Amino acid sequence: MSNNDNVKYLITSAETDLLQEIMNIAFGRAASDLAEFIDIFVILSVPQIKLLQAYDLPTYINNEIMDYDRDRVSVVEQSFWGKFKGNAFLVFPSGTGKRMISLFDGRDEFFEQDPSHELEKETFLEIGNILIGACIGKLAELLGDVTTYSPPRVLVEKSLHHLYENLLDPDSMAIVLKTVFELNNKNISGYMFVLTKQESFAWLKNALHKFLEQYD
Amino acid sequence: MIKKILVVDDSPISIKIIKSCIPKDAGYELFDAADGQMAVEKYKEIKPDLTFMDLTMPVMNGFQALEEIIKFDPKAIITILTADVQIKAVAKAHELGAFSVLKKPPSKEAIIAAIKEADDALATRG
Repeated sequence: MSNNDNVKYLITSAETDLLQEIMNIAFGRAASDLAEFIDIFVILSVPQIKLLQAYDLPTYINNEIMDYDRDRVSVVEQSFWGKFKGNAFLVFPSGTGKRMISLFDGRDEFFEQDPSHELEKETFLEIGNILIGACIGKLAELLGDVTTYSPPRVLVEKSLHHLYENLLDPDSMAIVLKTVFELNNKNISGYMFVLTKQESFAWLKNALHKFLEQYD
Repeated sequence: MIKKILVVDDSPISIKIIKSCIPKDAGYELFDAADGQMAVEKYKEIKPDLTFMDLTMPVMNGFQALEEIIKFDPKAIITILTADVQIKAVAKAHELGAFSVLKKPPSKEAIIAAIKEADDALATRG
């Protein structure tokens, strides 16, 4: 059985469509929280969802982010626990942190004096916390679960190998939410990945069906 | 009185969910479109009494479709049904002529209330 067949065995295309719609709603809520936090307008694009086994994720990410410098990406990671448990990741291309900080103070020159990326780390932690917390929280709420979170961790301007070596559990399943969002005309794009174990998929399938039952 | 309802969303499951919230025994004729461009074309073709429209869609988004439809029919009753619940997005939809804005996922009660509001608006217009 191929890797793709393994994923198909776990979740049907109808369940994937519903999961995509629910992730869309959840990310919409996350964008709304972010917009309120920094008083901006987030222009959302149509998100795309893909299910993979975690050990296929490096190849997938490498293909998807061919326009990025793979040796300089920023990653925010946060673990969550509930009936649905796993890790969520936001991956941003090089330079995103600086563009994000300039949303707050409108200046770019500060970064020349921030070689250790401390301010960028703080910004990613705040923004990652809002996006991941709101998205996973809404997803859990819609599917009748409650989640708790670890403090977020951040890697700034590091190689993707850091992500693969330190943060990915190769035995996990990955729900990849690819979304591009524009903040106040600063084109900031990113990817969100949610990694979860096979046992959470069983709960997820059941929860998706329960969600649909309210519309029968 | 509402007879024709157009549902616009790029997600087939979302269209199915919205249609399932519309009372089946009321005799509404239901139509759907998968993006803003198709929505504008469908609107011109069938002239629905009420349109439920998503905002984040490929080809032409809901804001653009709303603008096009209102340009064609300033009295169009369009209820935005969206996951984009930013205050500025809701305000922009109203500015462009949306009749009302509902959050996704919809409840049956919210959809029924939206149909009744649209019905009342049509009755007031005579």
